[in-house]
Amino acid sequence: MNGTRFFRIIFSRLTGRRLDWLLAGFALLLAILPARALAPWTGDVARIVVVPIVPLMHLGMVVRDRIRPPRAAFDARAPEVVELELATERYRTLFEQSRLKAEALDREIAQLKAVRTRLGNSGVQLETASVVGIDPTRREGLVRINAGLRQGVHRDAAVIIHGDILGGIVANDPGEFVSLVKPAQRCSLSVRLYPADGVDAGLNPSAYPGTVLKPIDGGLWIGDIASDVEIREGQIARVTDDRFGSVARGMRVGRVRRILPNEQVPLARRVEVEPLAQLIDESTVVVAIDPPEARP
Amino acid sequence: MRWAIYILAVLVAVAIDSSLGGVLKIGDAQPRFLACVVVYAILSAPRAYAVRIAMLAGLLADLLSPTIRPDDSQLVVIGPWTLGFALGALAVLPLRSLLYHRNPISSGFATFVFSLLAAIVFVAVWVLRINLLSDESPSWWPGTGASEVWHQSKVAIANGVVAIPTVWLLDRSRGIWGFSTAKRLVHGAARETV
Repeated sequence: MNGTRFFRIIFSRLTGRRLDWLLAGFALLLAILPARALAPWTGDVARIVVVPIVPLMHLGMVVRDRIRPPRAAFDARAPEVVELELATERYRTLFEQSRLKAEALDREIAQLKAVRTRLGNSGVQLETASVVGIDPTRREGLVRINAGLRQGVHRDAAVIIHGDILGGIVANDPGEFVSLVKPAQRCSLSVRLYPADGVDAGLNPSAYPGTVLKPIDGGLWIGDIASDVEIREGQIARVTDDRFGSVARGMRVGRVRRILPNEQVPLARRVEVEPLAQLIDESTVVVAIDPPEARP
Repeated sequence: MRWAIYILAVLVAVAIDSSLGGVLKIGDAQPRFLACVVVYAILSAPRAYAVRIAMLAGLLADLLSPTIRPDDSQLVVIGPWTLGFALGALAVLPLRSLLYHRNPISSGFATFVFSLLAAIVFVAVWVLRINLLSDESPSWWPGTGASEVWHQSKVAIANGVVAIPTVWLLDRSRGIWGFSTAKRLVHGAARETV
């Protein structure tokens, strides 16, 4: 039996229900393949498939923003007041950024030279990007933005919303023109909890309670506080992590929603933190692109 | 059935789900137009194609739903939605003879059944994957599989509701889909006039 005849017989038999079963079996095989067998090619296939859909998704996002404008536009107060409040929050963030930077410098005095170089020429590039797609099938809250390697976007680049809220980080393998962003609610973050109405400039940042926030179901975080320092609902969590570049440090991420007792450690407490803003509700974000030498 | 029209409709549905669909979100349940388009096609296309057209849409859903791995790299797993849509199609096929498939309300019910079964298979495949490959984290992490089924049940209800106007609209464009229509011959006067 020659090869041509063999394939002719195979294809003549692969019709109807047999073909359906074959395709289903193939899909099951692909579904249980380990990541190392899928990762090298499925991502590329997905990037190719998404190309014709991106303009439609972009159009859809524009229509969505027309139908349901971003929440800020619904604020009944005078726009000037809203803008001033946002500016105040931004300056608070800048203030906290500088204080946390100073704290880091005190701790890492041995590396003063390297830090000075970074501060002197931080070279962080801020790139505005549009959200061109959200993930409707999964609850991960992933979004696609129209900025990629061509714009200098790199993995773990901080994605900023509302001026100073860390909305998420760029996932691995950003594409040439489109990148996938992992929302902050899916990341474990080191934070400090600050009063909502501002801080005492005389107090050292380490006087405020710090914790590691771990993501839990429902898009919230939970963190353990071992010290007996005062914690109140409504306190603002600011990032102290170094993993997402210097820009992310000091940014707001969430607000303390509940303070719970820690059953395992009676003297400790547990805080439940809710995000200040949802990345999937945004239409425009800012990506902080670190210079190559400063990338985490 | 014209495959090009079907593929185009599926692409448009996916694009709407990924952007405009968020407007219709109630709580955390966002309806999916993709399910409506697939069910409309399953109810109207030849039976032999039903599973294949559902799997094609499922493949697209898989490709556009990357998951994030513990090392922060993205991974596209092909299969969970493909198989889910296939089983959904197998569940809807017997309903063709029970339902008047050009009635939007019966399409809404079929969409609910389709979405629910597709979601159950999706969760089951992921559970199988987690058990076989211990380093994988499911897309619904840090929730549980049961919470995901509950969430997807709400999405299935939303899909069923959205399917009623969507299928009605799709039925307006029935002519371009190229579905074969069988006409019943009537004895008597009508036949005599031919």
